[in-house]
Amino acid sequence: MKLAPMIALGGLVLAGGFSVTASGPAAAGDPAEGRKIANMCRTCHGLDGYAQVPIAPHIGGEPQEYLEAQLMAYKTGQREHEMMSVVTASLTAQQISDVAAWYASHVAVAILPEGVSAEAAPQACVSCHGADGISQLLDAPNLAGETNIYIDTQLKAFRRGQRRHDVMNEVTENLSDAEIRALANWYAAITLQIESPPE
Amino acid sequence: MTNRILAGLLFGTMLSAPVMAQDNMERLQNMQRTDATFTFIDQDGERAEALNDILQYINLPDGFEISLYAVVPDARSMSMAPQGTVLFAGTRKDKVWSIVDRDRNRVADEVKDFAPSVTFDIPNGPCFSPDGFLYIAERNRVLVFPAAEFFFESPDIAVGEVVPQGELIPVDEESFNHSARVCDIGPDGKLYISLGQPYNVQPVEKLELYDEIGIGGIIRMNTDGSDREVFTRGVRNSVGQDFNPATGELWWTDNQVDGMGDDIPPGELNRQTAAGQHFGFPWTNARVEIPAYKDVPRPEGVEFIEPQLELTAHAADLGMRFYHDSSFPERYHGGIFWAQHGSWNRTTPIGARVMFTALDEEGNAVGAEVFADGWLNEDTGEYRGRPMDIEFLPDGSMLVSDDFAGAIWRIAYNPAPAE
Repeated sequence: MKLAPMIALGGLVLAGGFSVTASGPAAAGDPAEGRKIANMCRTCHGLDGYAQVPIAPHIGGEPQEYLEAQLMAYKTGQREHEMMSVVTASLTAQQISDVAAWYASHVAVAILPEGVSAEAAPQACVSCHGADGISQLLDAPNLAGETNIYIDTQLKAFRRGQRRHDVMNEVTENLSDAEIRALANWYAAITLQIESPPE
Repeated sequence: MTNRILAGLLFGTMLSAPVMAQDNMERLQNMQRTDATFTFIDQDGERAEALNDILQYINLPDGFEISLYAVVPDARSMSMAPQGTVLFAGTRKDKVWSIVDRDRNRVADEVKDFAPSVTFDIPNGPCFSPDGFLYIAERNRVLVFPAAEFFFESPDIAVGEVVPQGELIPVDEESFNHSARVCDIGPDGKLYISLGQPYNVQPVEKLELYDEIGIGGIIRMNTDGSDREVFTRGVRNSVGQDFNPATGELWWTDNQVDGMGDDIPPGELNRQTAAGQHFGFPWTNARVEIPAYKDVPRPEGVEFIEPQLELTAHAADLGMRFYHDSSFPERYHGGIFWAQHGSWNRTTPIGARVMFTALDEEGNAVGAEVFADGWLNEDTGEYRGRPMDIEFLPDGSMLVSDDFAGAIWRIAYNPAPAE
């Protein structure tokens, strides 16, 4: 059973990888306020967080901490994106907490393709992102059902050091293009359903 | 425990990860078989029904009618094969679709992925040479498939590399957004490829590199990849181009800067009359100055070419085609149709329609008019579909790709007979 120690290690990564969130918004997010802000997001990410265009990731049911950290990273220029840098420039820290709370209030459900066993999942990824692409810790995104090119692009950005994350930069350092695409294909093949916030 | 040790442990287990994306390029170039199989898209059933339900909302000029031509997931730029028997549509994912209407009833009956043995990477832009070579411009590679119209029925198809992986742009400049390339074979027989720049506005330190490579421009090269040069400068992100069959001039659309407000800068339809012309970006979008470049010296001795048409801001003008068939009424002959994909962050959404402009005697655009709309639900601001590119069937009817609905629509002129 390889998984148990990996999950324990994941906990340490969590503790070490939280600097972005720690310097980010401290106030609790209000999902109801966040729903209004989500009108700025929905053309690409959907109102429930199921992406409408390939270049955008699914964000419904994502850990709130991950969403906040990424939005703050865009806002501060630590992470750059042609569209997200523009969007986050106009958001306050409170609005970022709110919209993160809205998307995080949804529930992401992942279903492996028929006949595929979770044991075949890429072992480099499972301790943080799960065999089915559902995040195992607050600092990692869900990967279930993302477009393979989205995951491929992010992994290459980590490999080049253009996107910074201590663990991801090292995990990707020696991956070939073919290995990256294989990892991306694993998670892209998973069906993602996003359920409304529980009452 | 440091992250380095952790990563070491992760690597220890990684070797067991399956490598599914074996690149078959070498095998195919040696005419060897692979074990690739086709993915077929169901043309009936629930998906088709849902798409047919959208038709009632689409507004067209009198005498035109719209129908569902094919269910095609993520359908982007299109190219009709020279004999008119197969349509190819790219995607922003990893598929190119072949679309066939075997019984010629103007509804596709078979849609399957093209060359499933090839690992594609944002193969947005297919384009044919008149002698039947299919070029596919990807994020960072250009492939060629000889006689694709006749060999597409095999999953293992001869393929060549016009521009090898990683040589279209520097690998460090790769992104997902602004990486949907379009291509065309010009009247000079050269291959023209748009290269969007990956930022909203590129940082000043990228200017020299981008100018040299043609990022934020359109490049051209021989069809074997030789003699590459920058044909167009000063582009932000063009995802639509076509040559005027009457003059051989290249026309193209461009997308404008975000974050300056709902109503500026305007979208652009451009006419290029000479190689090397500069259209102003990142100093200007049409006549609007980009604030970040206010104090950056403009290139010396260069005159910025103004667009032919300034278009509704943020409507996202994408794929375009000259109309050179005859089944549409005469006022459309020789004019330009193009797709507005629709805005993504305008306060009131706009776009998701097909536009048209006629050309005057000097070959200038006379003005944009809406040809087809209704894909945007104006009550809720939600999209029913998002037109992306225009192509024509051999009978002169129009095809409109829609990467949101996952469809290709057909618009035909079919006036009711006079009483």
